[in-house]
Amino acid sequence: MYPPKFGYVIPDNIKEALEFLESHEDAKVLAGGHSLIPMLKLRLLRPSYLVEIRRLSDLSYIKLDGDTYKIGALTTHYDISKAKIPLLSETASKIGDPQVRNMGTIGGSISHADPAADYPAALIALDAQVKIISTKGERVVPISSFIKDIFTTDLNPGEIVSEIQFKNLKDYKFSYQKLERRAGDFAIVGVAVALKMSGDVIDDIRIGLTAVGNGPIRPTKAEEAIKGKRPTDDVLDQVGEIAMSYANPKADIRGSAEYKKKMVKVLTKRAILTAIQR
Amino acid sequence: MKVFEPDQKVKIRLKINGKLYETEVEPRRLLVHVLRDLGFTGVHIGCDTSNCGACTVIMNGRSVKSCTVLAVEADGADILTVEGLASDGKLHPIQEAFWDKHALQCGYCTPGMIMEAYWLLKENPNPTEEEIREGISGNLCRCTGYQNIIEAIKEAAEKMRQGQ
Ligand SMILES: Cc1cc2nc3c(=O)[nH]c(=O)nc-3n(C[C@H](O)[C@H](O)[C@H](O)COP(=O)(O)OP(=O)(O)OC[C@H]3O[C@@H](n4cnc5c(N)ncnc54)[C@H](O)[C@@H]3O)c2cc1C
Ligand code: FES
Ligand code: FES
Repeated sequence: MYPPKFGYVIPDNIKEALEFLESHEDAKVLAGGHSLIPMLKLRLLRPSYLVEIRRLSDLSYIKLDGDTYKIGALTTHYDISKAKIPLLSETASKIGDPQVRNMGTIGGSISHADPAADYPAALIALDAQVKIISTKGERVVPISSFIKDIFTTDLNPGEIVSEIQFKNLKDYKFSYQKLERRAGDFAIVGVAVALKMSGDVIDDIRIGLTAVGNGPIRPTKAEEAIKGKRPTDDVLDQVGEIAMSYANPKADIRGSAEYKKKMVKVLTKRAILTAIQR
Repeated sequence: MKVFEPDQKVKIRLKINGKLYETEVEPRRLLVHVLRDLGFTGVHIGCDTSNCGACTVIMNGRSVKSCTVLAVEADGADILTVEGLASDGKLHPIQEAFWDKHALQCGYCTPGMIMEAYWLLKENPNPTEEEIREGISGNLCRCTGYQNIIEAIKEAAEKMRQGQ
């Protein structure tokens, strides 16, 4: 399989990349290429130019600035998986397979906005913010409004993601539960949980769901149902039940809608119990 | 900034198994095709859809599926293919272990499997069986059932730790 013909641009810096994108609306940026190149091979896209940003090293970093994590858009899944970032590193380690993680980037993953992608579950639980830049300046939007629909984001022509930001959940325990048909596949259902205990009571909790809607879902009512309580079987059942009511999955090769919905309940409970036991 | 038009050939340089190569490619050309055209036919194309790992090579120290990398992107890169593993006529311990443990049948997946094992053992010289399984999860084998591949990687790990 060969990709269609396209021109190729190698900018020396981010400014040049943004200027080129501004004047060529049908150009696309190439980050890790692990969604873009397969789509090109299938001829699902025919961009005029690819603008190579992968090697712009000033967009590849992981910084802890005070209590805020700042992650450059071009940071690879591999680098994130090794960085011991609460919740996000575990999530990165479950994406695809080692070769995919060596090339794929976090900015590419959220810009591609596959409804079954792993990061969005963690990012919505972390209340992450997405920094977007263009020749006109920068703006910051929450992940919940950045991902608007299946494969659709808030990015306008000429804009790229430059950074992901979120508060470091220092005293939290966490777990990302990914149900897959086989190692390396996209999630059937993915549930990310971060929680803080105070004694045997759950003080705070954040839950993020992926692969069960058009974008990631934050089942806030499920969170409320367990805050300030001990995680007894009854409470966990109730939380799972409420989380499940937020899910609106579609049937596909990975399972029926009904199965996926039920799995939200199972995985939510499993994620909470796994987090507590850590 | 460099701008290449769709039909324009781009001159690229690749260091492959320690030797420098220069060639010209269209922007849409995939790394796997360029490597094969340069004679490195140990780099196999299995699925062409980024799934099977038969095309795995080491690029700048990390394993990649060369069917999912553009040749222009690899300009200036240091690449290791299965042809570069043996030295002075002596097989690499991973190659030897694949032989010893009968870790192949048709052999189609083998070069990719060996290159991924190479990266895995560089990252983690003493992997558990679980870590080996996860480590080769991007490489498909339709013949062996994986068991002997895992045995081979275990044996290679042990030999390499002993510095053989
Ligand atoms: C075999 C295989 C298995 C996979 N399994 C999983 C999985 O289990 N879970 C999962 O979550 N993902 C999976 N993926 C997808 C993988 O994580 C991709 O790396 C990711 O979706 C895209 O990141 P990228 O850096 O490769 O982006 P690219 O492919 O380079 O780009 C993707 C899209 O985003 C745009 N883009 C890239 N960077 C930016 C930016 N900074 N700003 C604006 N737009 C940008 C591009 O123009 C393009 O439209 C898999 C991929 C493969 C090939
Ligand atoms: S040929 Fe590259 S992954 Fe199958
Ligand atoms: S030995 Fe035949 S595919 Fe692995």
